[in-house]
Amino acid sequence: MEQILVNGAILSANYALIALGITLIFGIMNVLNFAHGQMFMIGGLIVYTVCVVFKLPYAVGLLAAAVIVGLIGMLLERTLFQRVMRISSREENTMLLAVGTALLLENIALYVFGEKQRGIPPMVSGVYRLGSAFLPANRLLVFAISLALIAAVLLFVNFTRQGRAMRALAQDRTATMLMGVDVNRISMLGFGLGAALAGIAGGLLISVSGVNAGIGTAISTKAFIMIMIGGAGVIGGALLGAVALGFAEAIGYALFPGSVTYLLIFTALILFLLIRPQGIMGKPWG
Amino acid sequence: MAGTSMRYFEARGLTVNYDRVRAIADVNLAFDEGQVASLIGANGAGKSTTLRAITGLVPLAGGEVWFDGARIDQLPAPRRVEIGVAMVPEGRRVFPQMSVRDNLLMGAYARKDRGAIASDLERILVRFPRLKERLRQGAGTLSGGEQEMLVIGRALMSKPRLLLLDEPSLGLAPLVVRDIARLIIEVNRDEGMSIVLVEQNSRMALRVSQYGYVLETGRVALEGPSDNLLNDPKVKELYLGG
Repeated sequence: MEQILVNGAILSANYALIALGITLIFGIMNVLNFAHGQMFMIGGLIVYTVCVVFKLPYAVGLLAAAVIVGLIGMLLERTLFQRVMRISSREENTMLLAVGTALLLENIALYVFGEKQRGIPPMVSGVYRLGSAFLPANRLLVFAISLALIAAVLLFVNFTRQGRAMRALAQDRTATMLMGVDVNRISMLGFGLGAALAGIAGGLLISVSGVNAGIGTAISTKAFIMIMIGGAGVIGGALLGAVALGFAEAIGYALFPGSVTYLLIFTALILFLLIRPQGIMGKPWG
Repeated sequence: MAGTSMRYFEARGLTVNYDRVRAIADVNLAFDEGQVASLIGANGAGKSTTLRAITGLVPLAGGEVWFDGARIDQLPAPRRVEIGVAMVPEGRRVFPQMSVRDNLLMGAYARKDRGAIASDLERILVRFPRLKERLRQGAGTLSGGEQEMLVIGRALMSKPRLLLLDEPSLGLAPLVVRDIARLIIEVNRDEGMSIVLVEQNSRMALRVSQYGYVLETGRVALEGPSDNLLNDPKVKELYLGG
């Protein structure tokens, strides 16, 4: 029981980074980022490259993952998404673009890193005991970093000038322009921040369970599950969805054989969406 | 511009097309610092388009905008806010899921003198005591009149020199419209603020303003001191309900 709580909490914190990132991008730009899982994967493989291939400290790897994946996000936004949003009148077009981006990133990753499962040795060794539960020090560190980043993102979005502009842009683009906001710049920053969070999440999880070039779609699916549970575009909903999925997974893996857990999660999700299609905290109209 | 004396604000020959359909054509406006100018006319006459052209929300197909001696129609829209042109859009458009306080702070986004923002917020809350009571509330929960006050306050937070108001009375009860009209007069009087007021409520607009323009199908059909327009038989018949 205590082990389930510990595992659930650790998973939830990592998932929250993924859900926060995809929510930022969706909220600000109305783009459902199908490439989010691929950004996560690239973050993980960057950490692998920096720490295992170049033998640099983990902190350097994590920073590189954040910066490089963030820059990839900003570049994609500026060159592809902004243009498609400007010239197309149908919202599906950005979704198709995101799917294409996912395939592009995945194939680049296959080419550069190969298809092998990659992991890194734990950053810290040792195991703590929490009641009857085992808590590896490495997972505790991952948990702590995740929590600190969640707090930092929430503080940024709620209390800084740029964060306020991102929230404003998510609510009313025209009104935001009238405040003197360079909306193209803010949406590029938002996309970059969302991507960087995916990269960091991948960089953290590679020290726990490893990452391979094909993991992206599975991660994107998890991200979608979280925002479907919590409500798309709502930051509180993203966190709630992350906790729900993290604990559902921890409980499921403890009680059932591996593949049954996600079968049950999907079944429960479909039933839940029949009752509340907008998610727990989502608005019924969008 | 040698030889001509320039007014504080001048729009010359403004022309805007939407998908090749002409929305406004050859609209000329001019007024002095500290004046309130009103734009009245029927739905679709081009009043909002004129304001959107001044702020840069829509591109010009022709014409120039001059403000305080500088040509501004080639500046990107955010830059125009920085130099002191603020617009309150039609339909209010508060940021509904943000607090009243955050809405007001968004108004100050483009300011360079960030140190003065806190004291200006205090000053604006003195003018809008209702907003002060609701500072932490979500803006979407305010009444229509309160939302209109909020968006005017939000625009004032940018410390504008020219305030463009698009249909501030739209959808408000007559008593609330009176409050808004009084507010516009006070802002103009107390701060010497130059204001362009677009209104379907022509009577209110002409009473508040010193100079008025009547737009018809994208062109200025009539202009003059507001008192004259209030007594003009044609204006009376078409826009003031006989």
